[in-house]
Amino acid sequence: MNSTSSPVIETSDLVKTFGSTRALDGLDLSVAQGEVHGFLGPNGAGKSTTIRVLLGLLRADEGAARLFGADPWDDAVSLHHRLAYVPGDVELWPNLTGGEAIDLFARLRGTLDTKRRSELCDRFDLDPTKKARTYSKGNRQKVALIAALASPVDLLLLDEPTAGLDPLMELVFQECIREAQQAGATVLLSSHILAQVEVLADRISIVRSGRVVETGSLDDLRHMTRTTIVARTDRPAEGMQSLTGVHDITSGDGEVRLEVDGEHVGPVITRLAEHGIQSITAHPPTLEQLLVSHYGHEPEPEEVAR
Amino acid sequence: MTTTRSAPQSTRSTPRHRGRGAPSTSGGGTAFAGTGTLVRFMLRRDRIKLPAWVCGLGLFVVYIGAALPQIAPTEDDLAAASPMLSQPIGRMFSGPAYGMTPPTYESFFAGGYTLYLYLLAALMNILLITRHTRLEEQSGRAELVRANVTGRHSRLTAALVVAGITNLAATVVVAGLALTNDFSPTGSLLVGAGVGLTGMAFAGVSAITAQLSEYSRSASGLAGIVLGVAFGVRALGDMAEQGGSTLSWFSPLAWPGQTAPYVLDRWWPLLLPVALAVVTIAVAFALQDRRDLGAGLLAARPGRAEATPSLGTVWGLAARLQRGPVLAWGFGILVLGVVDGLFTQVMLDSAGEMPEALRQVFGAEQLADGYMSFLAVFGGYLTAAFIVYAVQSLKSEEDSGRAEAVLATPTARVTWGLSHVVATGVGAVLIMLVTGLAVGAAASGVTGTGSIFGDAFLAHLNVLPAVLVTLGVCTLAYGCAPRLLAPVGWALVAVMFFVGNFAALLDVPDWIFRLSPLDYPAQVPVEDIAWRPLLWLALVALAGVVLGLVGLRRRQISARS
Repeated sequence: MNSTSSPVIETSDLVKTFGSTRALDGLDLSVAQGEVHGFLGPNGAGKSTTIRVLLGLLRADEGAARLFGADPWDDAVSLHHRLAYVPGDVELWPNLTGGEAIDLFARLRGTLDTKRRSELCDRFDLDPTKKARTYSKGNRQKVALIAALASPVDLLLLDEPTAGLDPLMELVFQECIREAQQAGATVLLSSHILAQVEVLADRISIVRSGRVVETGSLDDLRHMTRTTIVARTDRPAEGMQSLTGVHDITSGDGEVRLEVDGEHVGPVITRLAEHGIQSITAHPPTLEQLLVSHYGHEPEPEEVAR
Repeated sequence: MTTTRSAPQSTRSTPRHRGRGAPSTSGGGTAFAGTGTLVRFMLRRDRIKLPAWVCGLGLFVVYIGAALPQIAPTEDDLAAASPMLSQPIGRMFSGPAYGMTPPTYESFFAGGYTLYLYLLAALMNILLITRHTRLEEQSGRAELVRANVTGRHSRLTAALVVAGITNLAATVVVAGLALTNDFSPTGSLLVGAGVGLTGMAFAGVSAITAQLSEYSRSASGLAGIVLGVAFGVRALGDMAEQGGSTLSWFSPLAWPGQTAPYVLDRWWPLLLPVALAVVTIAVAFALQDRRDLGAGLLAARPGRAEATPSLGTVWGLAARLQRGPVLAWGFGILVLGVVDGLFTQVMLDSAGEMPEALRQVFGAEQLADGYMSFLAVFGGYLTAAFIVYAVQSLKSEEDSGRAEAVLATPTARVTWGLSHVVATGVGAVLIMLVTGLAVGAAASGVTGTGSIFGDAFLAHLNVLPAVLVTLGVCTLAYGCAPRLLAPVGWALVAVMFFVGNFAALLDVPDWIFRLSPLDYPAQVPVEDIAWRPLLWLALVALAGVVLGLVGLRRRQISARS
């Protein structure tokens, strides 16, 4: 599987402008063979634009993009034999059924494995006999996912693929991605939810305002996964700041709020327990919190709006 | 269900209700809460659409009133043209033909054109009711509204109130504008009331169909079928006898015509649409009581779980997507062609007395030949309109993101574009061929002249390359500058329409004629077929397609700037 050392996806200094908007601003991305690569960023950061360039639908203004060592614009058709794509907002033909759309995509890609297809329909709990106009957003998303997963491909380009899926389906999706990875596929998984990517990704690139600001394995980025803990204790919890990895403590009114680096959560909980915990909540940082804490300012309004 | 209804019942008697959400209709009960607010809301949403419909109806009245004296300057000319309305074929398409011996401008207006006012009013109400009831439920917006202080029946009631307001406006506008044509008051009021009450009857019909299906398209489709059947029954009934036969009375579309405006001026036939409106609305409310929000009384049919092998390629997909438009447009163009073909004998009969202006359009010498050539051009620009519509679907595929999904598979951009262009082209050729055959069959059938059949077919074949130039132009526009597709395409159709119908009457300069591709082929069957212009037209069409596909290959897809 890992016979080739060259990356499956490689872009360097990619620039794409739409009028006065600079959607991609020198984006460097590298995805190795066989890895699940989390492509993380707020809405409008340039994730979808990058994927469209990789699909050969958009032409980059500057920079280079290679897919399996080939040019995504010039060699689009031959490259598309090897990949499947799931957009974040799936549009289907209202008068075709979901089943028809799945078969169509599979056949356009080359082969239709009917057994695999019906197995996936079962797992995702999709009724393929309904016309697409009656599907909810989640069901349209399932159609695109099943169509992509039904054919054996070398690369999955997934652009916020689980938007609108319920948590159970999210689990099924995670299973399917692991299976695809075991079968040797490379996955580019774009998302704006850190927790989702954490579960699956071997490596993560964080994109913001059209450029990759951080890239590495999960361990490399461990410093970013800082947990927020809010606890109400019988006695005021003092001396927490002496523990390693604890930041930004505020307390008062019997309540303490602090942030702690991912690998140091255990000692903090132990110490809090000594003060008699009445209630406790802990949650991982949102991407926005991360971006604010690491890059010093709020996401630009245009990013959020798009 | 009963518990949810009885619970709010008690709150109604308390004065805690806020004014705006309070029930405002006389129906009473919390099932109608919020109707007044919804009425205002619907009127606001439709503040362009409904006035446009009513103005359209009014314009139709003004246009006919102004055009009749132009086409037939004296009442003698009118009498010469009256066989067009009073013969059986004429009655099929315009109504019972009261007051044709001799006709006056007002009776000619009532006999020849008002049927289409009633038809349009029915259509307006079908769309209005479906849009505000079933479409809202299907999209889930109705749920959002119902979660507020609104009752089960508020939406339907409000939609019917809006329909009532619109129909009243249509009545006033149509009657008033008919008066400005110097038509007599009672007849004008009858025409106006006929428009309003027919509209109300069909509002009732679509209130029922909106209960039946979960989908707004099926709901308006069912109501459309009722309208179509009403038209068919009336056509057969009116064809049987002048003044209509017993069969006519079974069609809601025949009732307003039976008031015989400007001739007998009778009011009582209008009781029938009133009764139909009352009964259908009552049934609709009863049905609505028996169903859940968003549910239909007819079960939705499941579709195929798997695609047929023919859907396995982009070509199959394009054929599948273009199939509906080809059938719909083709059917419409075919019906219009057949109707016009059936008029051939009437045309020939009244040729001697035909107004000079009309004769010019068809060519005075060989009237039947000129008419066939005219019908070919007529079918030609309608098919060109189909082509513009069909090529626009490429753009909507792209804008919606569906093209992106297809192009993410190993499908070349050119193949994708070509598949739609070919499907459209094949559809256009089929439409023209079938229409040519049908026009020929209709015309030779009514005249008893066999040679007309071949002439009509040949005339349609002859304009085909000119029609396909539209495909070339549209493909070029879509491939190179998609934003220009709609303006350029429809402008071309408008030019073809104008040159084909009016240019000869208006003595416009030659260069305007040359803008229409349909002006280049020889006037078959009046003239012999000329191959050179046909070859050039075909080349232009082909060049447009090729350049358009080259442009499509070079440009980006779904680049929203």
